[in-house]
Amino acid sequence: MIRHPSRYFANARPAGVLLLGLLLSILAGCASTPRLNETSERTLPRQAFIEGVPFHAQRDYQCGPASLAMVLNQSGVAVPMETLIPQVFIPGREGSVQPEMLATVRRHGRIPFVLNDSFDALLTEIAAGHPVVVMQNLSLPAWPMWHYAVAIGYDRDTEEMTLHSGEEAQRIESFRRFDATWARSGRWSFIALPPGELPHAASERRTLEAIATFEQVQGAEATLPAWEAYVERFPDSAMGFFALGNARHATGDTEGAIEGFRNAVARRDDHGAAWLNLGLLLRAHDKPEEARQALTRAAELPGPWQQRAQEALET
Amino acid sequence: MKTLCRFLSPLLILALVLGSVSATAAPLPASDLVSTQAALSAESATADRERIQEILSRADVQEQLVAQGVDLDEVEARVAALSDEEARQMAEQLDQLPAGASVVGALLVVFLVLLVTDILGLTNVFPFTR
Repeated sequence: MIRHPSRYFANARPAGVLLLGLLLSILAGCASTPRLNETSERTLPRQAFIEGVPFHAQRDYQCGPASLAMVLNQSGVAVPMETLIPQVFIPGREGSVQPEMLATVRRHGRIPFVLNDSFDALLTEIAAGHPVVVMQNLSLPAWPMWHYAVAIGYDRDTEEMTLHSGEEAQRIESFRRFDATWARSGRWSFIALPPGELPHAASERRTLEAIATFEQVQGAEATLPAWEAYVERFPDSAMGFFALGNARHATGDTEGAIEGFRNAVARRDDHGAAWLNLGLLLRAHDKPEEARQALTRAAELPGPWQQRAQEALET
Repeated sequence: MKTLCRFLSPLLILALVLGSVSATAAPLPASDLVSTQAALSAESATADRERIQEILSRADVQEQLVAQGVDLDEVEARVAALSDEEARQMAEQLDQLPAGASVVGALLVVFLVLLVTDILGLTNVFPFTR
């Protein structure tokens, strides 16, 4: 039996509509209003808005330099957007990449802290008064449209975010739409803080690494306040006290350095590098007996510093 | 770049080996403390080979950035401000890294799909849908 061709067409339209409807309901299922965990639900204020964050409208594809200018200006660095463009924009890519966004913050004397990838982390920092640079994919994964914006406020009652974004200051976006576009970057975000201030929503380890990288670029003197703040926030961190000891030593504070290394080994008795540094400093500071004890301990511990400690003992 | 690596690698290995020999042979002044960076990379078990890789990747990133139109005067300072991890990431996948720019390749079909997803609140491409 041969069917009339027009009957295929008659079925095709409802089938297409059905397919589209199905597809959209699947897509819609992926996005929902983000939920906060119990602690943030209780402790975070209902509304928060950071007053006075300067707005720079992006030109062409330059949302990266514009976002950087906003957070740097807010933290007291008076750098114009024009200076930032040649420092972070990649003409061949017509955009700016994440590692260089962080690197440019370091060049201007601020520490970039990448936040935990959660909605809680974002709201926590906004509530603490830190404008947050967020990366969004405004489009779908298949045709990405990557974008940097600065989150400056939220309202949990109306479920809306406030962002300086693109050419629009204080743009309002619903939590749902914002989170859908933000989730596509893996919820990537960072804040830029002067040394001495710490994020509330970044892990201990990440915070430590962020400060250590900043020190590599800007040197020990500029970084010292950050290490002081770090050991105050994480008083059990042996690595924090070790880094503090090194920074103090580099700025000529030998006694402070010795105290830092002592604190490090008090928290972790198997910290070979801290024992070794403590021993070397004590010896240079005319305390041969204590120096010998520290170096002996360092020489006992297997690891990359054992050999150096043994050699130091013999000389 | 491949040939450059072939020449540079032995030189770098030599430099690093010599560097560590002279440091251990001479009596240690107190300024030769273990640095925070060295202790951190020792914790994450960074071998000498990876350190060489990181030095090479910085040179590589510079080259790639210049090829992408970055100013010669700027490129050195830009790469110097990257962490080792970031430099490696850039060297390996600069082309795949998302670059914040807010443009989208516009095909009509794509336009229509995005229009619908915009209206549904899944995307944020067209300002007039809000």
